Amino acid sequence: MLRINNVSKMFHGRHVLRNITVSIERGCILGLAGPSGSGKSTLLRCIQGLDIPDAGTVQCAGRVGFMFQDFQLFPHMTAGKNISYAPQLHGTLPKDVLAACMADLLKKLGIADLVDRYPDSLSGGQKQRVALARSLILEPDMLLCDEPTSGLDVATTNDVAELLHSVRPKIATMVIASHDLDFLVQATDRIVLLREGAITTDIVVRETENPVKYLHSHYCTKT
Amino acid sequence: MDVLDTALFIGHGLTTTLQLLVGGLVIGLSLGILFSVCRHRGICRMPIRCYVSIIRGTPLLLQLSLIYFLGPSLGIHLDVVGAGILAFGLNSSAYVAEILRAGMESLPIGQFEAAKTLKIPPFYAWRDILLPQVVRRIFPAITGEVIALLKETALIATIGGADVMRRSQMIAAEKFTYFLPLCIAGLYYYGLVRLIECGARRWEKRMAHVAH
Repeated sequence: MLRINNVSKMFHGRHVLRNITVSIERGCILGLAGPSGSGKSTLLRCIQGLDIPDAGTVQCAGRVGFMFQDFQLFPHMTAGKNISYAPQLHGTLPKDVLAACMADLLKKLGIADLVDRYPDSLSGGQKQRVALARSLILEPDMLLCDEPTSGLDVATTNDVAELLHSVRPKIATMVIASHDLDFLVQATDRIVLLREGAITTDIVVRETENPVKYLHSHYCTKT
Repeated sequence: MDVLDTALFIGHGLTTTLQLLVGGLVIGLSLGILFSVCRHRGICRMPIRCYVSIIRGTPLLLQLSLIYFLGPSLGIHLDVVGAGILAFGLNSSAYVAEILRAGMESLPIGQFEAAKTLKIPPFYAWRDILLPQVVRRIFPAITGEVIALLKETALIATIGGADVMRRSQMIAAEKFTYFLPLCIAGLYYYGLVRLIECGARRWEKRMAHVAH
């Protein structure tokens, strides 16, 4: 469950978010669309708590996982260590249970053979999977993804969409920010279009005829 | 006195040179880390900035002379090596603090945020995630600082410390021959610098997987 109520945020005197109000229920995948600088990433950061809104409230139930646009894997740790470091530190799971969870997750994401490799030797798609595994191993109730397909080719973008669908049973709620409308239509249930920090369009993907065309027509609408 | 005797006589000064280098480094690194962490957390930011500015803005020879000659009037009685270690350490700490500050500022903010989103406590985030990357980034600069410090220890000769440089000057003054003792002193310093460089390069290779 996520409730965003009248959230506003300013940077250097410029409104980045204006009175954003969105609610989603458990099990929903929400897409945040919009051109660069429309406030998608800032909204995600406010949900995660990396930025504090100047006004309004954000309420979310349970643990929140975050996937950064540029992955932010720790470069001095192997892929395996990147994934296992936080849960090992938290010690919430016994070692053998954690190892079993990790093996299962790595197999599901198709990165079991990458555990001993360092991030700088991985491709964009592989880093994406490692970053996803690092978030999922902590069993978040909600996952926030910032531009998960940025810099990926068409085939890998489709893989990411499938990947996010495949982890759906594990995560109650997801919010995905992207400027790639085709990807969002493929991967989400509902899409909110942001422009200059405000919501201009809010659609349910399945109930909208040709959602990509519809969103394109609203993409440049002034607030 | 032949070449070997001259080399041995000057070589005895290595003990003092290395004492000054190691002692200066221990003080320099400890204080440098302390200052940069304090500055990063906003503690005593202004006094530390002034300290760094004054130390970097005045000659090391002046600092060494002040500590050695004015120390006793302030109740600080240090022998030549002690005064040298303190002066070189304090001087080095200002440079180390600046190197560390630059290293911390060069880390992408996303690394701090990634640690935060994974709920990694600050102590572990610093120890296991941020510092290893900072160390990798600043290592060449720190190596440069160690080499500079080694060469600066020759200033101890000005207050009578019997290091490699001073001993070569003693031979020169006694024999009125400058070329051989100064060349031997130069070879000792160059050898030590090469050792430091080789060690640093090997360590850098081991750390090569840490991205820039």
